[in-house]
Amino acid sequence: MSIGQLAGGRISPVARRVAQRDPLFIAAGVVMAAIVLLAVLGPLLTPYDPNQLYVGPVLSPPSVVHLMGTDDLGRDILSRVLAGGAASVFGPVVVVVLSTVLGSTVAILSAWYGGWVDAVLTRITEVVFAIPGLVLAILAVSMFGKGLIAPVLALSIAYLPVVSRLVRAGARSELGKPYMAALRIQGVGSLAISFRHLLPALLPAILAQSTIGFGYAMLDLAAISFLGLGAQPPTSDWGVMISSGQPSLLNGAPEQSLFPALLVVLTVLSVNILGARVTAWAERADA
Amino acid sequence: MTDPVLEFAHVSITAPGADGPRTLVHDCTLQVAPGEVLGLVGESGSGKTMSVRAVAGLLPDGFTVEGAIRIDGQDISELPAKRLRDIRARRLGMVFQTPRAHLNPLRTIGDFMTEALVTVAGESADAAARRAMELLAEVGIPDPERRMRQRPGDLSGGLLQRVMIAATLAMDPPILLADEITTALDVTTQEEVMAVLADLRRTRQLAVLFITHDLALAAAVCDRVAVMQDGRIVETLSASTMRADAREPYTQRLLSAVLPADLLSGQTAAEPILVVDGLQKTFHVRSARGGRREVFVAVDDVGFALAPGGSLGIVGESGSGKSTTARIICGLESADAGTVSVKGEDWTTPARSARGRRQRARIAQMVFQDPYLSLDRRQTVRQCLTEAVAVHRRSASRAELRARVDELLASVRLDPTLADRRPRSLSGGQRQRVAIARALAADPEILVLDEAVSALDVTTQVEILTLLDAIRRDTGVALLMISHDLAAVRRLCDQVVVMRSGRIVEHGPIADVLDDPQAEYTRLLLDSIPREGWVPRRRIPARVSVPDDSTGAASGSSTSAPITALEGDR
Repeated sequence: MSIGQLAGGRISPVARRVAQRDPLFIAAGVVMAAIVLLAVLGPLLTPYDPNQLYVGPVLSPPSVVHLMGTDDLGRDILSRVLAGGAASVFGPVVVVVLSTVLGSTVAILSAWYGGWVDAVLTRITEVVFAIPGLVLAILAVSMFGKGLIAPVLALSIAYLPVVSRLVRAGARSELGKPYMAALRIQGVGSLAISFRHLLPALLPAILAQSTIGFGYAMLDLAAISFLGLGAQPPTSDWGVMISSGQPSLLNGAPEQSLFPALLVVLTVLSVNILGARVTAWAERADA
Repeated sequence: MTDPVLEFAHVSITAPGADGPRTLVHDCTLQVAPGEVLGLVGESGSGKTMSVRAVAGLLPDGFTVEGAIRIDGQDISELPAKRLRDIRARRLGMVFQTPRAHLNPLRTIGDFMTEALVTVAGESADAAARRAMELLAEVGIPDPERRMRQRPGDLSGGLLQRVMIAATLAMDPPILLADEITTALDVTTQEEVMAVLADLRRTRQLAVLFITHDLALAAAVCDRVAVMQDGRIVETLSASTMRADAREPYTQRLLSAVLPADLLSGQTAAEPILVVDGLQKTFHVRSARGGRREVFVAVDDVGFALAPGGSLGIVGESGSGKSTTARIICGLESADAGTVSVKGEDWTTPARSARGRRQRARIAQMVFQDPYLSLDRRQTVRQCLTEAVAVHRRSASRAELRARVDELLASVRLDPTLADRRPRSLSGGQRQRVAIARALAADPEILVLDEAVSALDVTTQVEILTLLDAIRRDTGVALLMISHDLAAVRRLCDQVVVMRSGRIVEHGPIADVLDDPQAEYTRLLLDSIPREGWVPRRRIPARVSVPDDSTGAASGSSTSAPITALEGDR
């Protein structure tokens, strides 16, 4: 007898996953939870002041005193990783949320009204599509100054067309289905149809796109910081740390770049694994 | 009887499931001999389709088959995979219910037809093309050369189904598996396809396993009929003596479910609630090649009136414009010319405001053909009905909404315990009851039924028609029934309008029109209904000669020349 039967078939998909011993899902979930916790509580847990120079010897390898070693200025890498977590994790979250909300709105308006509304909105998003996100971000930084806000907003705009294209195609096909005609004949209002019927139907696609978007946003933001246009030294940010660790890397001390890089990879990987699973449930709930 | 080419010996098929495996087919034994048509009849969910899928190797993952399925006496489970694939490619042909879903819309008919000839039989492209054209001609497709260059979107459903049949014949298989191949077709097209099948079976000695839920059709075209219920074959009968021989209550129920062609209710004479006058609608269709725009006249000068509490049927084949007419009335399309007036108000253009739509919703509601598609698959029955009620009763409390939903469930005789289910865990009949309940939520005065029973099993059809009749009597709602099924229309309607190619060819009281049709087209529709002693006739003569025999089913009997236009491509 399976656990599902014991629970009378009423168990959440998460519990079922765990019950089915999906090791990848469990691992990704644990890693993600740890990273989020680290991003939220990180600043409170730092063993040293993350910006305090020469708390130890320069470029010391991991030791009991400095778990991740120290960087080229003798700062504690662990403290800097913890302090930089928030910006590194929540920056991409903001990008994904903004681009998804805006992109879906544009897409649904486009699909709903069709005609010239659709034509205008689609052309505009196509123009934005033609500009690479990184270029847009660099442009924004040069206009609004360095820091995290400008690149986050720029990337949100840059990712918008990707979301809106996908959602528009899905919305058009969904709106063409008989149940949408049935809802209109019943006199159900446009907003109710959009929020109660259309969006839930598009959710699997939107979710899948968001997790992929998160990965790209994290890497793009790290790249912007890496280029010195995002978070500014001495602020600790995983991208900045990877970037400023470059010379040390060549001197045979990889820790400064390695640990933040590892965290970026782990975060992106876990988000994608979780996203794929959640999308699969949403799809199955649909079938 | 000669040795069977296809044989099931105690076959059971088991599906995996979250709550443990479920056996869908139990101990099924049957044989099909060369030149024989064996009908496998039962309601949906009775295991018919799974049985043919097992032969073709198309069962979903995790399904297991016990017992032996033999092709030419060989148990297919004992064959190595490569050999089995070869046997399936050469010995089996399979035709499905929805040809459009099984054809790649981007590839031409020619590509599709020649694929197997080139890849499996190893013919040259030229030889394959010649052979493909012969096959298309054999199944009665006019102008095969042109069709070879066209894509599935350019062909009607009946033509596509014939393309599918022709393609399966490419490898000259001795066995044809036909799974509900005419269910999605009009009666006249169904007759064409069945006539083609009858010819092929005679000329090629095809063994046909013919799956259908339509007992009247099975009785007319099969030699023997195996009746399947809940995965078991309950009895196998000779088609010609089926009515007399049927012993099983299930078979008798299926037989009695075939719609009786009687019932007639009185006339109603009152100020009409719905008046349609001079309605016109054209669509601009971009043709497949070159992007040239073609004008397609869907509705041409259509007019009729519906009395309050009355019932009017609009019959015709698909493409006759009957559904477009219904959609204009319900505000899903706008008319190009003409007027629709309901209770004296002008409804010609769709309501612009949400308030306007709500007001109209209280007067006219619609029930669609496929309840699975017309219900939101994410909503439970209760959510769906609550939404439909709440639209019109914005101030109602939770308890009031709940009570009204329970009332609606009762009015469509739906078990309240089903209220928390979603459409996928309901049967076709239950789903359609939900759709009807939803349409009744606003207490409408007109109920538009767009092929509302066409996708259902015969027994369910009768249930739903009986229900609609009762609802009409109880609530006094007027019915506008769009259907290609004359028997269903006769069951429910007082008046009938016959449409063809967007025009009304005949109209009047149902008994007058159906018992004494004036228009040739009405007569044709009536002739195409499968019944006892019915022999499907080809309206389009086959190009290749078919040996004529006493049944008169061959090419020689095609008499009515004007009908050829029926098969025009759209």
